[in-house]
Amino acid sequence: MAKTPDPERLELLQGTLDMLILRTLQWGSQHGHGIGQAIASQSDDLLKVETGSLYPALHRLEKKGWLKSEWGISEANHKAKYYQLTAAGKAQLSRQRDKWAQLVDVIGKIMNPAAATED
Amino acid sequence: MRPNDNDLDEEIRGHLAINIQQRIERGEKPEAARLAALREFGYMPQLRDEMRRVWYGRWFDLGAALAQDMRVGLRSLMRAKGMAATVVITLALGIGANAAIFSVVRGVLMRPLVNRDEARLVYLRQSATGLGSENVTFSVPEIKDIRAEATTIEAFGEFSTVEFTLVGLGDPRVIQAGVVDGHYFDVMGLRPVIGRLVEPSDEGLNAAGVAVLTNRFWQNSLNSDPSVVGKTIQLGARSATVIGVLEPSIPYPADTEIIANMVTSPHHMGATMVTLRTHRMTQLFGRLKPGATIEAARAEMTALHASIVSQHPDSYPPRSDMRLSVTALRDQIAAPARPVLLVLLVAAAVVFIIACSNVANLILARSVRREGELAVRAALGASRGALRRTLLAESLVLCGAGAILGVLLARPLVAIVARFAARFSVRALEVSVDSTLLWVGAALAMAAAVLLAYVPRLPSGHAPTGSSLAPNSLRITPGTNRRLRVFATTQIAFCFVMLAGAATLLATLIALQTANTGYNMRQVLAIDVPMPTLGLGTDQSLSFYEEVTRKVGELPGVAGVSLGNFTPWRDSGRFGGAAGVGFGADGYTPANGEEHPRARLRIVAPNFFNVLGVLMLAGRDFTADDRRGNESVVIVSQSVAQRIFPNGDALNHKLWWIDPYFGPKPFPRRIVGVVADVDDENIMKGAAMTVYHPLQQMGVAGRLFVHASGDPYALVPAVTRIIQRMSANQPVERAATLEDVRAEVLAPERLNAFVFTGFAGIALLIAVVGVAGVLAFGVSARTREFGVRLAIGSTPFDLMKSVLSEGVVIVSVGIIAGAAFGYLFAGLASSYFETMRMPGLTSLLGAAAVLIAAAILASLMPAARASRIDVLQALRSE
Repeated sequence: MAKTPDPERLELLQGTLDMLILRTLQWGSQHGHGIGQAIASQSDDLLKVETGSLYPALHRLEKKGWLKSEWGISEANHKAKYYQLTAAGKAQLSRQRDKWAQLVDVIGKIMNPAAATED
Repeated sequence: MRPNDNDLDEEIRGHLAINIQQRIERGEKPEAARLAALREFGYMPQLRDEMRRVWYGRWFDLGAALAQDMRVGLRSLMRAKGMAATVVITLALGIGANAAIFSVVRGVLMRPLVNRDEARLVYLRQSATGLGSENVTFSVPEIKDIRAEATTIEAFGEFSTVEFTLVGLGDPRVIQAGVVDGHYFDVMGLRPVIGRLVEPSDEGLNAAGVAVLTNRFWQNSLNSDPSVVGKTIQLGARSATVIGVLEPSIPYPADTEIIANMVTSPHHMGATMVTLRTHRMTQLFGRLKPGATIEAARAEMTALHASIVSQHPDSYPPRSDMRLSVTALRDQIAAPARPVLLVLLVAAAVVFIIACSNVANLILARSVRREGELAVRAALGASRGALRRTLLAESLVLCGAGAILGVLLARPLVAIVARFAARFSVRALEVSVDSTLLWVGAALAMAAAVLLAYVPRLPSGHAPTGSSLAPNSLRITPGTNRRLRVFATTQIAFCFVMLAGAATLLATLIALQTANTGYNMRQVLAIDVPMPTLGLGTDQSLSFYEEVTRKVGELPGVAGVSLGNFTPWRDSGRFGGAAGVGFGADGYTPANGEEHPRARLRIVAPNFFNVLGVLMLAGRDFTADDRRGNESVVIVSQSVAQRIFPNGDALNHKLWWIDPYFGPKPFPRRIVGVVADVDDENIMKGAAMTVYHPLQQMGVAGRLFVHASGDPYALVPAVTRIIQRMSANQPVERAATLEDVRAEVLAPERLNAFVFTGFAGIALLIAVVGVAGVLAFGVSARTREFGVRLAIGSTPFDLMKSVLSEGVVIVSVGIIAGAAFGYLFAGLASSYFETMRMPGLTSLLGAAAVLIAAAILASLMPAARASRIDVLQALRSE
């Protein structure tokens, strides 16, 4: 059930879900289910975002003003809420992307000093 | 901008729809797709809560979640109407009784008086416990001493109760009145609504008579007529001018209609009143100095009283054990009602406990039936907190409904309980329905709701849930069963305590009502024909009464007429009261250090004993010859004769009063007769030492006794006509048979028994429902077991017997627990209430019998159901 962790799956790092959502929405507006699927398919199903984390995150981002939402009709003719990046959201995405790159760099150096020198 | 609950639901629904659609497109069967989508989604209510929490504050969110849960709870309760109704009614009874009684308790014991600066008002009380009197009041010399020395009390007001024949406002009648000194109203902090009140300038022998009307009298009898101010009225021998009307206030120390200045009462101006230290008839009120505490006043007054006692040892015999106490006026007024109200409060609390354990039982039984539902919720990821909240929401709905109904019930109850409490303290007269009712109701409902939400066990996350998830399964775990029984037993135990208490009160009441009083109760009519204060005891008034006796005696249907100065019970406490007056007798010397014997002093006309049915044991009755100028004689009661003259030779001995009121020299009177004892002072039987004087020698009467051969009340109009034809202004009042007079006096006892029995009845009702509920639940949960037992040869009768005996066992254990608890509680209570009585064996057995009978009755229905179980269906039921 939902609570049992799948050994194959990767745990999302704290704080990265917001960034992934913003990144996913860069290509246009999407509903919650679509965002979850997009993250899953782009990670080759290794990252699976639980609805229990996804939806509260969407609402958090909307409250911060990085996303805005409107009701729309899905491909299969269902009423769904579509999320979309705002200007502030785009700025936030680029800030997070830089921070992330820095973080990966730094952690990579610590975890793998040899590889870092090879670079 | 903020999404509401609908938006959130819509979004979730959209998500699911898309997911299902995609799964179906991938080839899953629709039903499987739906279940998989739901499973993947997780626990929906929780997600919605989390989404909402993003937008709203934590408390708002919790509240909203609870409100949502309550809506769900309401819906699920609508599916269990019978159970919900039982719970709501039970809670309403518990909450209503408590809210009503608490309102009255608050109104009587806790609310401030209307008087200005009421916190500074004190009441001074002189008691003589050695004489059995809690309040002997004060004499004028005593008040003078206290006034001269007091430093913590800035001013004193004096009030004494008198009776006046009032002429000039409506029909002439005898009224209760007070006479006060010039400071009384200022000390009490009371204002006039019109006119003015008695002032210091109204004091003294030469002042003009003035009278203040109390508000109630002015409103009820005079229709709030403002022109009454300035009128001249006749108060007994004196006339007085009405100078004002008092604001509405507590009628204390007596329910008076008029309050006048001292000069209107000739007695208060006389030498006896002014100089005699033991002539106590004034109540003393004080106003504390600003900043002085009541403790300081108490300490000062106690010391002052001790010094007064040491200066005048002969006025304060050590045996009477006289003391002075200072109490806040508010407490003094409420004091008589305190024990009764506290007992009622405890009774109401017990009803609440019984109601709560009954409801707990019902909820527990229901939660067992709901174990499946709770297990599903837990399986879907609901946290323990969320489950508790669901349960809390449901019990809040139940308790809220119970509270609303309870408060509605309590509104009329307040009036009933207040009327009851008014028998003990006048403060209850002004109790009204207020917000107290609401917040007590709400507080009790909250307490019950929280308690009830924690009664059911939650399905634990670790326990195997398989069986609970199976549909239609119903199993009672031993733990649940034990809890059910514990609650049922608790109810029975408390119920038993209540029933035993009620039985005791009823037994007392029956004993009182059937007690032999020594009077002819049914046929004797007592009528107040008060002495005209003018010419008290003169030959003229005596011949008036002689004439009345003669003329009334000639009426058809009258078997006998006589006069006296007291009506049994009604006039108790007068003329020496319970304590009596000291007397001496020739041939009797009190043992060393022993006080003089005391007896009640009564004045009766010839034929009194015959008319009232009191047996003449020896000697003769008074005759017309026992008048002034002839030998002074008395008749004594049997107890006096036996105590003072144990050899049986009381007749012809002499007897004299030892009291300064009768002059310094003993005035011996010859004993001419001995009559049977009557006890009409106390409701409970007590000593009844009485000495009777002939009317013609003491000259004070005022009560007419008519022995009727037919219906006594039919004689009243004729008697009234005869008397008023002789004297138009003569009041003729309060005609009642002795039986009804006594019933009047017994009314508080009867009300006590009535109210308490009512409570016990409610408790019994709830407890019976409780036991029946537990057994019925047990039967329905054990259908399969019963089926098996039937299949292997038990008869339906066996099953019925086993259910019945289960009920009897619960009740028996409850009775034993109740008896043990009640015994401890009674021991505790008796240290607070002096009049606490332990229930007799009959009362206890009676209570137990009622409970067992009720238990059998309660078990019958479930037992019958057990005996009707169909074997095949029972076995197939799982």
